[in-house]
Amino acid sequence: MLYLIAGGGLLSFNTGFAIWIAISLIVFLLIMTKYAMPPIMAALEGRETRIRESLEAAEVALAKAEAISKDNDKALREAEQTAHQIRKEAKEEAERIRTERIAKAKDEAEKIIEQAKFDITQEKQSALIALRQEVARLAIKSASLIIDAELDEEKNKKLVNNYIDDLSKN
Amino acid sequence: MINYFTLLPSLIVVLLMSQTSVLATKTVADDLGESESPIDIMGTVADHDYFTFFGTKLYLPRIFLWKDANGKTQFSTYKSTKKALASGEFEQIDHVIKPVNGSILVDFSLTSHLIYFWFGLGALALYIVFAGSRYKKGIGTSSAPKGALQNLFEVFFEFVRDEIAKPNIEGENYKKYLPYLFTMFMSITFMNVFGLLPWAATATADITVTAILALFTFFITQFSGTKDHWQHVFWYPGVPLGVKFLMIPVELIGLFTKPFALAIRLFANMMSGKIMIIAILGLIFIFNDMYGSVAAYSVSILSVAMTSILYVLKLLVALLQAYIFTLLSAVFIGMAAEEHEHDHEHYDHIHAEQSV
Repeated sequence: MLYLIAGGGLLSFNTGFAIWIAISLIVFLLIMTKYAMPPIMAALEGRETRIRESLEAAEVALAKAEAISKDNDKALREAEQTAHQIRKEAKEEAERIRTERIAKAKDEAEKIIEQAKFDITQEKQSALIALRQEVARLAIKSASLIIDAELDEEKNKKLVNNYIDDLSKN
Repeated sequence: MINYFTLLPSLIVVLLMSQTSVLATKTVADDLGESESPIDIMGTVADHDYFTFFGTKLYLPRIFLWKDANGKTQFSTYKSTKKALASGEFEQIDHVIKPVNGSILVDFSLTSHLIYFWFGLGALALYIVFAGSRYKKGIGTSSAPKGALQNLFEVFFEFVRDEIAKPNIEGENYKKYLPYLFTMFMSITFMNVFGLLPWAATATADITVTAILALFTFFITQFSGTKDHWQHVFWYPGVPLGVKFLMIPVELIGLFTKPFALAIRLFANMMSGKIMIIAILGLIFIFNDMYGSVAAYSVSILSVAMTSILYVLKLLVALLQAYIFTLLSAVFIGMAAEEHEHDHEHYDHIHAEQSV
């Protein structure tokens, strides 16, 4: 029973013991506040800051990616629309060119036909003129021949017929 | 986790068995002495000049600052109480050691409570060095914390920081007090938990220890006191002139009752748990003394069962009291260090919290 070290009871305050405790605690606290705790506090705080920052960065990146994807969608839709437009325009252009060509060809054909018709009429005319001239010349020739051969009707007839036969043979 | 929980009861049983053996030997020793009681509660809970280390008593040195017969102040150190007595300069009367001629000024003797106080601080120091080396290596900073010890360290540290320091000390000020609060929380926890070991002494079940701890909180509180804090003490704002004068003694007393309550609360909680366990286990020996061994055996069933429950409760109380001490320290410091205009609702809230 050596519990009453300083001569007191359970509730006695022991000065020497208290001085020991106080000195130990002061030394311990000084070391703690000066050397031991700051690196730990800094390490944990740094880690927390880093985690928070990386979370925030991830959120920003996600938002960015979403925006980019939205932009991409928009661009794609726009491109599709443009392509559609271009195709439509091209089609229309082709159609226009086709109808133009056809019209032009038709026109040209008509012109050619017209020309041909005109040429034919011309040729016919000139042929008719030439024929008339030839017939007149022949008539004159045959007449002169008839006159030359006197008035032998039979002979004349024969002559004329022969001439015409010759003519047709020519 | 399951493993730990299944281990816990068996651990308690082992602890209790060793506790009873300690008590039993003590009983024998006391029976030889003048004591009539089969158990010696006070002798078990009080401070000793030895501490038990693996079943052997290690006697601690006695250091005295004393006045001899001529009125000269002397400083003497002895390896143990026995050596002090053998020197002839000291004698023991009623378990109190005294110089044969003269008186003791200050007794600097190392005691079991001091040793366990150092164990508490030492365990904390080792733990912090361990954690610090981990963080230095980058484990826990660039990678995740590894292992139960480091994770537990972070649980405690972040608990003190986020639940105790941050909510009570405004702004970035809490960083200044965090080392103190963490030291208080962890060292009190370690001391309380070491006290659960049957052969150990509970340093926090000593009014001197808790008084010094509370005194530290008191000094830190007063040194971090702002103008606001002192105005509250000496010229209470927002009340009539007469009440202002009335408030001065009230507030002055308040300054000292806060740390006083801190010291008493921790001491009483730790001491009462210890006394309860010894008393309940002591029933076995009392019954043995009064009614014989059969009664003692039957009482032992109840005693051991109750002690098991009490041990779990004490483990909870060990953490809870460390938490309360640290929380109230943070509240007091935060209150004194407050800078802004009076927020009376907040002030009342803190007063309410003090009554925990």
